[in-house]
Amino acid sequence: MPHGRFEEVVLPHLDAAFNYARWLTKNEADAEDVVQDAYLRALRFFSSLRAEDARAWLLTIVRNTWYGRFPRRDRTDHRTGFDEMSDEPPNDALDPEALLMQQQTVDTVRAAIEQLPADFREVIVLRELEGLSYKEIAAVIGIPMGTVMSRLARARERLVIILGPATSRERAS
Amino acid sequence: MNCHEIGRLLDAYVDNELEPAESAEISRYLETCGTCTSRLAQRESLGRLVRSAPYYTASDRLRAAVATSRAPSRFSPTLLARAAVVTLAVSLGSGAVVRTMRSRHAAEATTSIAEDVVASHVRALMGDHLVDVRSSDQHTVKPWFLGNLDYSPPVEDLTPVGFPLVGGRLDYVAGRAVAALIYQRHQHVINVFVWPAADAPTPIDSRSIRGFHVWHWTRDGMSFWAVSDLNDPELAGFAQALQK
Repeated sequence: MPHGRFEEVVLPHLDAAFNYARWLTKNEADAEDVVQDAYLRALRFFSSLRAEDARAWLLTIVRNTWYGRFPRRDRTDHRTGFDEMSDEPPNDALDPEALLMQQQTVDTVRAAIEQLPADFREVIVLRELEGLSYKEIAAVIGIPMGTVMSRLARARERLVIILGPATSRERAS
Repeated sequence: MNCHEIGRLLDAYVDNELEPAESAEISRYLETCGTCTSRLAQRESLGRLVRSAPYYTASDRLRAAVATSRAPSRFSPTLLARAAVVTLAVSLGSGAVVRTMRSRHAAEATTSIAEDVVASHVRALMGDHLVDVRSSDQHTVKPWFLGNLDYSPPVEDLTPVGFPLVGGRLDYVAGRAVAALIYQRHQHVINVFVWPAADAPTPIDSRSIRGFHVWHWTRDGMSFWAVSDLNDPELAGFAQALQK
């Protein structure tokens, strides 16, 4: 049994759950559906959670929910309109570095990540945005750590190709 | 080592996921190979680019929808029980008879404080009150604490090693007012709680609680608790940098 109650243990990871779902589904409405559904499941299976790994546990549920909900064909090429950046104000108070980054570059990077197949996209998001360790990523996705490493390497190679010019620009600055 | 092996391990190297010996071996090799060095530079600049992508946060509407699937309560019975353990551990005096008991209670007290520290971290992040004094200047943050507490924690900006100081805050942990230092690593916030320690220096203790990593050590008469959802290797690096 986990220490503490559902609200104390699982709610604090809501942003992590939403960010992951948002990158998987590539749109706001589907991401909210997936997260809400995932939380209901999490509540149901709460007693199976061990104390130390609430975030990885929740992200696994988000992932399973998404897999269960969207047929494979949709997953690789699912796009509904476009969500404007304006609903995600960057936290400039906390990240002065982000201010220097041009909006254009941010959009290019977002498009590049969204272009990746889902299994590449999720390791990039879990590692670079969520900051999970290989061990935690392995737990979320259910693959060996060695596979996490090689999949990340391939995903990054792919990004270097897509982002080619932007990568050199970044390096020049 | 050769270029092929470096290529295979480069991502794990950049991600700080290798054993120290292996990592050192790669560093040495990189000094001798221009091709591998430029691949490393490419990886690092790609990392910076990718981390500029948006981190999507949940809307208030979603937060409310998820939260009402169960009514929240501010004080759970378990939290009160843990607070009682702290009180018990503190009120136990010295003496041979209670020594074994005391060390067991001390361990329980440490666990309880770690729980408390995580709760404070989460409270600070979920509420809107993360920072009382916002400054990356240690000469601004340190005096601010002196005006608000009867001690002042050591304050150091770690921007050079990738952990910029964001500011300071007063918080309450284990029933007392404590100094909280806020650092940042990419999108992740690190809270460091500092207060005077009565006991001798303790070795570093690390644990994971509810998906957050907690590092604890005692040094120069101060007890340090660093907590974040940052991955463990990077938080370890942070703890090391702070102890230098």
